[in-house]
Amino acid sequence: MVSKKVTLVNAQGFHMRPASVFAQAMAKYTSSVTIKFNGNDYNAKSLLNIIAACIKCGSEIELVCDGPDENEALAEAAQMIESGLGE
Amino acid sequence: MLKGIGASEGIGIGRVMIIKEQSLEYTPKEVTDIEAELERFRGSVDKFCDNTMAQADAIRQSTGEKEAEILLGHIAIIRDPFMGGEIENLIKANQCAESAVEQICKMFIDMFSATGDDLTMQRAADVKDIRDGLLSILLGVEEVKISDAPAGTVLVCKELTPSMTAGIKKENIVGIITETGSKTSHSAILARALEIPAALSVPNAVAQLSSGEQVIVDGDNGEVITAPDQAQIDEYTAKREAFLRERRELENYRGKATANADGTEYELFCNIGTPKDAVKADDADGEGVGLFRTEFLFMDRSSLPTEDEQFDAYKQASLILKGKPLIIRTLDIGGDKEIPYLGLEKEENPFMGFRAIRYCLKNRDMFKSQIKAILRASAFGDIRIMFPLITAVEELREGKALVEEAKADLKASGIDFDENIQVGVMTETAASGVIADLLAEEADFFSIGTNDLTGYTMAADRGNSDVEYLYSPFQPSVLRMIRRIITCARNKGIPVGMCGEAAANPAMIPLLISFGLTEFSVSAPSVLKVRKNIAKWTKAEADAVTEKVMGFTTEKEITDYLNTVI
Repeated sequence: MVSKKVTLVNAQGFHMRPASVFAQAMAKYTSSVTIKFNGNDYNAKSLLNIIAACIKCGSEIELVCDGPDENEALAEAAQMIESGLGE
Repeated sequence: MLKGIGASEGIGIGRVMIIKEQSLEYTPKEVTDIEAELERFRGSVDKFCDNTMAQADAIRQSTGEKEAEILLGHIAIIRDPFMGGEIENLIKANQCAESAVEQICKMFIDMFSATGDDLTMQRAADVKDIRDGLLSILLGVEEVKISDAPAGTVLVCKELTPSMTAGIKKENIVGIITETGSKTSHSAILARALEIPAALSVPNAVAQLSSGEQVIVDGDNGEVITAPDQAQIDEYTAKREAFLRERRELENYRGKATANADGTEYELFCNIGTPKDAVKADDADGEGVGLFRTEFLFMDRSSLPTEDEQFDAYKQASLILKGKPLIIRTLDIGGDKEIPYLGLEKEENPFMGFRAIRYCLKNRDMFKSQIKAILRASAFGDIRIMFPLITAVEELREGKALVEEAKADLKASGIDFDENIQVGVMTETAASGVIADLLAEEADFFSIGTNDLTGYTMAADRGNSDVEYLYSPFQPSVLRMIRRIITCARNKGIPVGMCGEAAANPAMIPLLISFGLTEFSVSAPSVLKVRKNIAKWTKAEADAVTEKVMGFTTEKEITDYLNTVI
């Protein structure tokens, strides 16, 4: 299991489009990808779970990946969030 | 007349078409052939996606890419592995597809609604739309065809869903009336994108109106005029034409620099109250934020916000502005803004009492945490600090000393901030106007708060109808105060803005150009109007008007004259 803390920088927070792009990108990994935020765990492969987390710009979240390709999954997840999720 | 919320500007005159919701009732039943039911569910999802894709294409043509994306979002939601998986699990537990869809959708609708966050709650509307779409397909119910609406139609429905919007032909629909929705709902966003006047949240609109009757929709104030007479139709037709003409003209100013007719450029900023408002400032083509009120962070709660909470909010606003200037006004409480947990005592005369910078300088820990939060955020953009209600040079000095202390603390902890952060004064008291020359020596900028400056100069409360007539920024005393503040700033070479309502007043603009203001900060919807009004004036013309104005002795002479030149 690997994890990393990152800060969300896109203006609208984790909303429809960024959440959708992110969930799709995570879906291709075998490992589980979890977002830890405000004491809860959210499945990062589910757009709806990410939206329900209501994560705003400037918030710090922890990404946790667990499985055979966990390092690749974590690297891409962190890179996507730090670069503003394409916004 | 019916009354709702004005959600998309403009006037629509036309005939009502009621869009009734189809009944999506069914009797839940236990299924035995689970494979067949799963197939039925998957088939409905495929059909839903096909329909939605076609609707997205249509809306992309009629409205734009951004609006089509709302619909494509529906596909992303229904294709979400978690959602599909949960629905299939219920079917595997012998539930029929209708009931499985309904339960899982309800779970998400409840979850999103419970967040209390505007944007997330809108996702609940998306899930409702998806649920209705899937149920219609599963039950074989035909969806209403809005695309067949004839020219001059005013759509009336309970809720305008994105999938309904897809059928709208812009040239045929002149108005929208719904029973639900707010200014920030999808219905409102789509109506604005389509440039169709809309009145939302009109109670019982569907029951009170009937198909074919003539109505006028006023999208500015949310009024719906039923059975209009000829005089009303003429009045509103004229309003409609004037509105459309002005909208076309204003759009020409989007993306342009703010400059007067000689080409002298000005900064045109917005006033905001929350980080989210920064999005509006950006959308409205504001060039930055000239006044970020920070009271929202302190209100509607039971204890002080932490430094981190404040830092998050300031940083968020700064990131949204993508490097454009952000002037943050430190806490301005007291007076009319009460915060129970601060335990402020009731005062005889709160507007002349313990408020704003006076309170902050006596509560240094609280003040320092705000300043540190602002400094930390300054590492992420062009942030400036502004102190409210300054009346003496010592207050500015003490505030600046605290900024230096906060900088030293941050440096000691190795935290980044903008070393050269500007610290300015909100000139909004008569005292600050009179000593503007002294303040200009030590402040990095001024911003004139005309609302309080007018009140304090005239010693008149605009909320008191007996003295309200005195409350005008065009009083010779207030204009002299404004001129003095601007002149003192320009003599010292520091920028001087105005963040009160007067900055957007077309009659005030020539005076401000002539006095030498460098920055206008207005509400987001006023940005393009102000840019247009600034562009009208050459410096010479503005000087001529101003010379005349400053020669008059009464407010009435001044406003009467200004009304003839704007």
